[in-house]
Amino acid sequence: MVKSTNNRAWFFEIPALLLLGFVAVIPLIMVVNRSLHDVFFQKSIWVGFEFYENILSTSRFWQTFGRSLLYSAIILIIEIPLGIAIALSMPKKGALVAVCLVSMSLPLLVPWNMIAIIWSVFLDILEKLLSTIGLDFDWKLNAFHTWVAIVLMDVWHWTSLVVFLCYSSLTTIPAAFYHTAAIDGASRWNVFRYIELPKMRGVLLMAILLRFMDSFMVYIEPYMLNAGGPRRSTMFLGIELGEDVLSFNYSPAAARSIIYFIIIVIVSWIFKTALDIHKSDNKYGKKTTDANE
Amino acid sequence: MKSKSSYLKHLHFRWLPTTFYITFLFLPLISLVYLSFLTILTGAPTPPVRQFTWSNYIHIFQNPALTASIINSVTYVIINILITIPVALIAAYAFSRYSFVGDKHLFFGFLTLRMTPPVVMVYPVYLIFSALDLVNTPLAIALAHCLFNVPISIWVLESFISAIPKELDETAFIDGYSFFRFFTRKLIPLMAPGIAVASFFCFMFSWVEVVFARILTVTAGKPITMAISALFSYRTDIGLVMAMTVLSIVPGALMIYFVRNHMAKGFTINQVN
Repeated sequence: MVKSTNNRAWFFEIPALLLLGFVAVIPLIMVVNRSLHDVFFQKSIWVGFEFYENILSTSRFWQTFGRSLLYSAIILIIEIPLGIAIALSMPKKGALVAVCLVSMSLPLLVPWNMIAIIWSVFLDILEKLLSTIGLDFDWKLNAFHTWVAIVLMDVWHWTSLVVFLCYSSLTTIPAAFYHTAAIDGASRWNVFRYIELPKMRGVLLMAILLRFMDSFMVYIEPYMLNAGGPRRSTMFLGIELGEDVLSFNYSPAAARSIIYFIIIVIVSWIFKTALDIHKSDNKYGKKTTDANE
Repeated sequence: MKSKSSYLKHLHFRWLPTTFYITFLFLPLISLVYLSFLTILTGAPTPPVRQFTWSNYIHIFQNPALTASIINSVTYVIINILITIPVALIAAYAFSRYSFVGDKHLFFGFLTLRMTPPVVMVYPVYLIFSALDLVNTPLAIALAHCLFNVPISIWVLESFISAIPKELDETAFIDGYSFFRFFTRKLIPLMAPGIAVASFFCFMFSWVEVVFARILTVTAGKPITMAISALFSYRTDIGLVMAMTVLSIVPGALMIYFVRNHMAKGFTINQVN
């Protein structure tokens, strides 16, 4: 579709800008302001970047940062391919579609403060079952087992979102594409590589960004499951921030928030740019999308 | 006959990942539903008594705090959708139909705001909303949730608008439609599936959110998530907690059942990205 150039289109963005300005931009500016001041007995003192320096100079921060990055990487490596695989294997029409969509949506609809509670009940059952066959699964005290539990919980909770996004774009591929591919004798892999994957590029970018942002800042679920333990082995950036907020250290928490925000924007921008470059490289992908429009 | 049996074999193999996945999803949910039908009182001196009962579900409707929380949750989600969708629809229309200075940066900018973790915003949002005397009202939660719902809705609606040919706009304007009439009479009816899907996304992210919901409801207006938190005490009635959780899943499951056919109609961000 050819878009006409018209800078007056900015007027259409005004309501969204005003609303987001009110609920997002003004609060963010207040956070920046707070992070540069220390508050003593209701008196605000300019401290500049002291809090930022304090946070960034501790090895504790960088350890937590590495842990969160590892967690996000594991989540993306598991959930994105799994989501694609399930979206590809889902029925495309008939009554089973409704069954699949409704049952897959259930984890997404559980209140977030209940996820960890449901899982601690389930993990206790799992622990008992595994011990009867002689396997030791100590998800409270063994760091590796806690990681397995938290990753499983996240996969359970969020993979359906990736499935929904991929599925919705897969169903828009015209049947004619598949017929042509079948006539040409294309292998299953080639159909995926040159028809389905290019079509899903946009939603995959979205799924990757959403899952990255949320897993990198994950807070409630691991915190309620094991409070960052055992011995800080599941302490993520979100939990450290939550601890600062809970102990009313607002200025350091504000500085921390801004550091996190900058990290997330940079990483998201890298993902976006990387996938955009991939788009211009991929001749076949471009051709199929163009033909479809 | 032979071809049919091989077809069936193929079919079963094809659905294997989905079947496994759904089974995995149901395992924790089964224990949730099972517990919601049991009366157990932890912390009691006698060994816990377990028996099958409907009483947990009956207790929900006898508990004014819980019934009020259901009403609060429904109210703030509806207000949120009513604010988000019109704002996002207009913004998405501009992104879909026009290119303008800084459009790509603005689109990424909106997504950036979606990336802000709620914990970051808790303190200033509380200050602003208490200055405006909005704390403890469903409106406060509805507005705060616009932070993540507006960017997502703009993206969802943009892809749906881009699927509608531009000729629709042009013929409508030639026919003398004003912009407002074109929007309400032509575009919105065609956009119904997109609006349904965007509303589902708003619902999904808003219904289950706890960080803003906690900070903005101190004494009153508590939504379902916070009402469940309030049930935890020294002698927590786990059965009641689980029954409330099961009940809180139902509206969303119904909603996705109604929008299921629209889930399939396009979500591509080729246009802006």
